[in-house]
Amino acid sequence: MAILVLDILTTAAILFAVSAGLLIILGVMKLINFAHGAFLTVGGYMAYLNGAAGLSPWLSIPLAAGVGFLGGLVIERVIVRPLYDRPLDAILATWGLGIVIGQLITLGFGRGVQFAPNPISGTTELFGVDYSAYRLAVAVIAVLLVVALSALLKLTRFGLNARAVIMNERLARGLGIDSTRVRALTFGLGAALACAAGALITPLISVDPNMGLPWLVNSFMLVMVAGVSFPSLLVASLILGGAQVVVSTYANPILGGMTIVVAAALVLRISPKGFSRA
Amino acid sequence: MGLACAVSAQAEETIRIGIPVGLSGANSVVAPSVVQASELAVDQINAKGGVLGRRLELVIADDGSGAQGAQRAYDSLVFQQKVDAIVAMETSAARNAGLPIVNRGKVPLIYTSFYEGRSCSPWMHINAWVPEQQVAPIVDQFMDEMGAKKFFLIGSDYAFGRGMLEFTREYVESKGGTVVGEEYLPMDGSDWTAIISQMRSASPDALITSTAGGAPNVTLTKQLRATGVDIPYGNYAIDEGTAATMGTDAEGIYIAASYITGIDSAANKAFLEALNAKFGAKAETPSELSVPQYEGILAYAAAVEKAGSTDAEKVVEALGEVTVDGPRGSITMNKQRHSPLTMYLGRVAADGSVEVIKSFPDVDPGEQCPQLAG
Repeated sequence: MAILVLDILTTAAILFAVSAGLLIILGVMKLINFAHGAFLTVGGYMAYLNGAAGLSPWLSIPLAAGVGFLGGLVIERVIVRPLYDRPLDAILATWGLGIVIGQLITLGFGRGVQFAPNPISGTTELFGVDYSAYRLAVAVIAVLLVVALSALLKLTRFGLNARAVIMNERLARGLGIDSTRVRALTFGLGAALACAAGALITPLISVDPNMGLPWLVNSFMLVMVAGVSFPSLLVASLILGGAQVVVSTYANPILGGMTIVVAAALVLRISPKGFSRA
Repeated sequence: MGLACAVSAQAEETIRIGIPVGLSGANSVVAPSVVQASELAVDQINAKGGVLGRRLELVIADDGSGAQGAQRAYDSLVFQQKVDAIVAMETSAARNAGLPIVNRGKVPLIYTSFYEGRSCSPWMHINAWVPEQQVAPIVDQFMDEMGAKKFFLIGSDYAFGRGMLEFTREYVESKGGTVVGEEYLPMDGSDWTAIISQMRSASPDALITSTAGGAPNVTLTKQLRATGVDIPYGNYAIDEGTAATMGTDAEGIYIAASYITGIDSAANKAFLEALNAKFGAKAETPSELSVPQYEGILAYAAAVEKAGSTDAEKVVEALGEVTVDGPRGSITMNKQRHSPLTMYLGRVAADGSVEVIKSFPDVDPGEQCPQLAG
């Protein structure tokens, strides 16, 4: 039982970390970033390069975040900004971008599987069971991330501007908020979060050109259910991630793989706003 | 006109071998080593004057690692290129799509990838292992040497993954052991959390996994190690290259293979030297998939020599009789179109290299194609 609870908590933490970057971009920019999976992959390769350079594995997460932020700013300026008036085209453009990034990675590193060193290996004892130390660390990091992101939105000037843009972009602009700058910073932040999450999950999965893809669908469903709020994304991750673990454990892991998608569709059918107003 | 005649006369002189291989898709990681092995075999045979005085020539076609691509590749090789034979290291899906075309075109086919067994065609011979040969060395080691009774099986949800584990379950039960769990994840799944927790609560004595190669295998192994699983662990899908790059996570994994680069024989040393001499720094690490390909081409050359022509029926008959002395030892495809093989039980050491613990000479492939006796 303790194992089941820990599985649910750590699965939710991983899902939250992986989805956060998608959520902030959708919230502020009304843009579904289909390059999110590719950003995760880039983060994984940053962890690989970091390991190959012999640096501490912990450095891979800030390194990936930095690369993601700068890359995000450039991508926003070059690809996303010219398409602000054509939201559907912008979504297609991010899809294409994801394919291009995937192919560039394949060209640079090949199709094979790469490896990055683990920051922590082995298990620690908690509630009387030995549990993966790294998964517990990810859970702690996810909680810190919720606090930090909520603080960023609630306590900073950027957060205030971003919330204004989320609520009513035209009005915000009328009040003198530079919404273009808010959008640019948001895309950079979203890309940074995605890359950092890619580096964060690397010790649990393999680094290959398609590593981000399976996570894209689940994060998309979670963000749809969560609406634009980090606490409700955490709730969505706990409930849907928990459902996935329970189905995988008691029914069948193959059904478990579909649980998040099916459950999210059901939630949206019953309550079109998902958990955001619940 | 005269030029065209000269070209076609010369074309008739070469013996053309079709190589459908997954240059794109899932097999694209191993395909380069398979192509290199084929090229090396053809070079060596041509350097000795070819077969029946004719040179060998390769016709390589991308099968996309799947059924659709294989149909195109086989159609083109058999009916347009009119190859004399096909030597194929490819997925089961690609083989199944290609077989009807081979049967229609009546071309000798040598299949050189290990697979789930019981694929039969009057035109096909197979020189790689089937579950009967692969499963026993690992299970015997765990049960007889290490006293394991309860097994847990984890696999990817596809024909090969399930086929291997179903055979393993039967074999474990026939030896008086029990299987306390058998779980699968889709091929693109990367979250093994629930399965690993189930396994830990079932507290088995040993674990055997049969995932797709590459990413699923790596994610499973990493997550197992992260949860501190240290029971005897047999892995059907890991190759030496992956083990070497995986570092300490791979340490202690048991594998059973018909080829390991560390095989201590003159033929293997000569093969490795020739490969390095031909490709230098670009030489791919040879594996269980590329070495049978090399031997498959040698077997075809020997069969043509024995039959005295490239006539398909005569060559197919000769293929079941000729013996190839290759890196894996002496191999004859004489057991219902399959081959008795020497299997090696290996264990991954701390530095990622594979130590051979035991070898099992001439393991029989069992009843594969009883309708094609001999």
